[in-house]
Amino acid sequence: MTPSDLQALLPHIVVAATAVAVMLVISFYRNQTVSAVLTVAGLFAAAACLPFVWSAEADAVPPLFRVDPFGCFHIGLLLTASVAVTVFSHSYLEKYRMERGEFYILLLLSVLGALVLTVADHFISFFLGLELLSVSLYVMVAYIFTKKRAVEAGVKYLFLAAATSAFLLFGMALIYAELGTMAFPEIAAELGGGDGLRSPYLLAGTVLVVAGAGFKLSVVPFHMWTPDIYQGAPAPVTAFLATVSKACVVVVLLRFLAAFDSDAVPGLYLALTVVACASMLTGNLLALLQDNIKRILAYSSIAHFGYLLVAFVAGGPAGAMAATFYLVTYFAATLVAFGVVAYLSPSDREADTVADYRGLFWSRPGPAALLSLALFSLVGLPLTGGFMGKFFLVGAGAEARLWTLLLVLAVSSAISIYYYLRVVVAMYSSIEDTPQTRELSEPFAATPPYGNTVGAVQALLALGLLVLGLYPQPVLAMIQSVTRTF
Amino acid sequence: MNLTESSTAFSFLSVLVFAPLVAAAIALVLRDERRVRQWTLLATAAIGVFSLFLLRGFEASTAEFQFVEHREWIPHLGMYYTLGIDGISLLLVLLTTLITPFCVIASWTVVKLRSKEFMICLLIMQTAMTGVFTALDFVLFFIFWEAMLIPMSILIGVWGGPGRVYAAIKFFIYTMAGSVLLIVAIIALRLETGTFSIPALMDQPYDRSFQLWIFGAFFISFAIKVPMFPFHTWLPAAHVEAPTAGSVLLASILLKMGAYGFLRFCLPITPLATIHFAPAILWLSVAAILYGGLTALAQSDLKKIVAYSSVAHMGFATLGIFLLVHHGTIGGALVMINHGVTTGALFIAVGIVYERVHSRDLARAAGLGRQMPIFAFFLGIFCLSSLAFPGTNTFIGEFLVLAGAFETSLILALAIVPGIIVAAAYNLRILQRVAYGGTKNPDHSGVADLGTREILLLTPFLVFILWIGLQPGPFIGLMEASIQNILDIVARSSGALNP
Amino acid sequence: MSAAPYWPFLVYTAMVFILVAGMVIVSSLLGTRHRQRVTGEAYESGMPPTGSARLRLSIKFFLIAILFVIFDLELVFIFAWAISIHELGWPGFWGMLVFVFILAAALVYEWRMGSLDWTERAIERRLGERREAMAKRWKEAEEA
Repeated sequence: MTPSDLQALLPHIVVAATAVAVMLVISFYRNQTVSAVLTVAGLFAAAACLPFVWSAEADAVPPLFRVDPFGCFHIGLLLTASVAVTVFSHSYLEKYRMERGEFYILLLLSVLGALVLTVADHFISFFLGLELLSVSLYVMVAYIFTKKRAVEAGVKYLFLAAATSAFLLFGMALIYAELGTMAFPEIAAELGGGDGLRSPYLLAGTVLVVAGAGFKLSVVPFHMWTPDIYQGAPAPVTAFLATVSKACVVVVLLRFLAAFDSDAVPGLYLALTVVACASMLTGNLLALLQDNIKRILAYSSIAHFGYLLVAFVAGGPAGAMAATFYLVTYFAATLVAFGVVAYLSPSDREADTVADYRGLFWSRPGPAALLSLALFSLVGLPLTGGFMGKFFLVGAGAEARLWTLLLVLAVSSAISIYYYLRVVVAMYSSIEDTPQTRELSEPFAATPPYGNTVGAVQALLALGLLVLGLYPQPVLAMIQSVTRTF
Repeated sequence: MNLTESSTAFSFLSVLVFAPLVAAAIALVLRDERRVRQWTLLATAAIGVFSLFLLRGFEASTAEFQFVEHREWIPHLGMYYTLGIDGISLLLVLLTTLITPFCVIASWTVVKLRSKEFMICLLIMQTAMTGVFTALDFVLFFIFWEAMLIPMSILIGVWGGPGRVYAAIKFFIYTMAGSVLLIVAIIALRLETGTFSIPALMDQPYDRSFQLWIFGAFFISFAIKVPMFPFHTWLPAAHVEAPTAGSVLLASILLKMGAYGFLRFCLPITPLATIHFAPAILWLSVAAILYGGLTALAQSDLKKIVAYSSVAHMGFATLGIFLLVHHGTIGGALVMINHGVTTGALFIAVGIVYERVHSRDLARAAGLGRQMPIFAFFLGIFCLSSLAFPGTNTFIGEFLVLAGAFETSLILALAIVPGIIVAAAYNLRILQRVAYGGTKNPDHSGVADLGTREILLLTPFLVFILWIGLQPGPFIGLMEASIQNILDIVARSSGALNP
Repeated sequence: MSAAPYWPFLVYTAMVFILVAGMVIVSSLLGTRHRQRVTGEAYESGMPPTGSARLRLSIKFFLIAILFVIFDLELVFIFAWAISIHELGWPGFWGMLVFVFILAAALVYEWRMGSLDWTERAIERRLGERREAMAKRWKEAEEA
């Protein structure tokens, strides 16, 4: 450990220290707002360290971490998303009469896990980060322990994630057995020889590692957990699951797969292609059958990571760039969507059936407009970031001549319009259309008007969505500069 | 066409495009709904007046794009923020900016619930529509094209009639399906040429089969928008359910976007395919004229009559455009403008009837003219205009199209004639029933004639109907050069085909 | 490395499967099967069993177990550090100091949360305090 190493890991250290600080503060002064403010302050402080990290002379902390601009960019992204999640959680937990401060410790710890993943350059840091992320998430998912669904979701997540960790570990062990190293650069060097995945060990190991990551990304066929857990978890936690806990795995996977030459291992890319197609189709088709917004968003996230895999298969700087930009737009849209769900949920249940949203526009035009914007972005309608994101994905795919994938992408996005539109239509149809809807939208009567902070965060995210859709150039230039190394 | 050189230092078009958006942002923070209405009217009127200054700087003798603005937007993908207008878009931009204030007036008292959001939707629509007609970068065009989809669906789906949700979804899905094809064509063109710039894409020697594919994608997407005969089924639903202002925007401007797409993209970018498909499209247009007219004749809902008459009128527009002869294409473009004025006026008139008798049924409105002589006068002029009575605007446009049709093919021209007769029939039917009524009319004793607001609302339409009808020269003069240029491109490419 | 044949791995995998399958199959083959009146009852040296087999243990025992896991097993890390103290030098010392500090913070938290309270009275007192504080906060929140 040299001072420059410490400098490179400054954001991680700040987040870790904040977690301890929140814990100490809770011990003596219990106040949700204080914990939340401290958390946000810590996240901002970590983000404020980024310029120093970016300019750090040694961008690697060998052998475990590699704090390059690409990692820094994602650290910034994850921290921003975490701030939004913290704000949503604060207003969400206000509705519950329970001890709420510990939530922020867990949140900070899982953020730390995610941050470790974004700079992981070694199987050990990969695994440590993943476990830190997951273990905190188990508890966060089941945090509202008075709700049966939440506890059920927490237990499900625990079992499935633990099983996945086992797969992941086994895969790592196989690769280590074959190559004698766990560091990504060395694996890349070993594989650079040209004969690709020359042994079954290596092939099995790679497949297991990719499967482990695929579980976190919830791509088909590792997607089964997603709808149940999205539905059961408190809405802000679902937002976190859908964004932060996936993005960091995307980063690791990009780094890990960068080691593989697509010509040398055609099988792996074929597998990714199949997974991508299956995810896009399964996600979008199953979403058609759902009546629950959280489940719709869960299936849509399966589809979205299918889209994202198109960029993986395309590979190269263009692929990494498209994937990163897509992540940014997906983040903004998903956070807005779950933010609205979290905000509208009354204390006895989640406001998550489509019927709940009938006539929302008439009673609350603000959240309705925000949710529509988010859904339109997820559809990929122009004006929103989602359009630009998809445009770049298609661009990267077209450059790599992945016509099959692009065809599936186009068809499945067309299917997706239907279920997003259902929610939007419900929001704009007036309450008197059906007699029972008035009763259904009753819970919203108790929802307070937008708090200043939640409203401001939502508005900023929505503004970001529009900016990404209309003038993405600054973000794009930044992403281009950080993905040059791929 | 040199786009890098900006012809004016002042970003005239950008101001025109984004002023409504700024106005919408201001409306968002206003609390009082009455204030919002007043502000929207003030803003749209000011924009309308401001847009007239375009005429001062516009050089009608050239087909070059004017008021060009060219800035970097997303250079990474070769997308530029390029705006500019030529003769065709100039008139459509003016139509947009001048119609919108009247939409605001038309919804002054009708829209009671959430009128603030309604006005914001209108303003966003205006930005998108102006943007569509001025964008010279394909992606920019597409973004504006799609941007109008959401507020329009909301206008229909939220403030519309009883079947509004169905109508809004139908509208959304039809348009979205067209858009998907459009974006595919845009990407294909980009892969072929490496640019999104619309002027640069024009008049290029593309491969014939490539042109056929691109044309196919363009055609379906624009034909849905026009809407042409087999793709028209969303239109009556949308028109019937939309609030008056929505119907006016839909008829006057949105439908023009499809025809504008034909003129701007199909003809100059894929001339060979245009020539290849033109005969089929001409007959489709004839089918639209006859089908639209006959269906209109069979309706009893006033809005449906006007909606189906739109299909027929737009049939004239596409017919004229694809005749590919000077008179015909100019006539087609003029029909677009005329239809915007006349049908907009008719929809407002239907809206006025609906406000009075709370029904759009022809039988319920029968004999209104006895209580409302001023209204009957306006309705008479509008109906005459719609049936292409000499002296009104539509006569000029349809006459030019007919003249062009006679130049091209006698059979084609003869096939249109029944359409014109049917148009006279359904328009006179409206006029007869509403203005004069039968022997037994519903009781209209409590109905008041037009108020000052409504007279102010309808007069400008009347002025334009007669102005274009009596002195079409200035209007034709504005677009003649641009249309001739497009026809030259088509002629050149067919000349290159058969040297 | 790669020259190493992978048949031992296959054999190992096969053996795992055979062993697991064998245990299940053999026991199901050899096991006696009869279902009579008292087959399902617990055997308590011929005495009829009374009461439920499930005992409620005080949560305190679990708490102690968890605290043991946290604080006793952390010793392993400190041992590892202690035997390599010369190699690690001052950076190692500072690192361990941070580690111990985090443990201490956790201990403070446990103490304040009442995990270390043993007697009923202490637990009742602390819970009462917490309940009162919570009620006060919510009252304030509702007023605001």
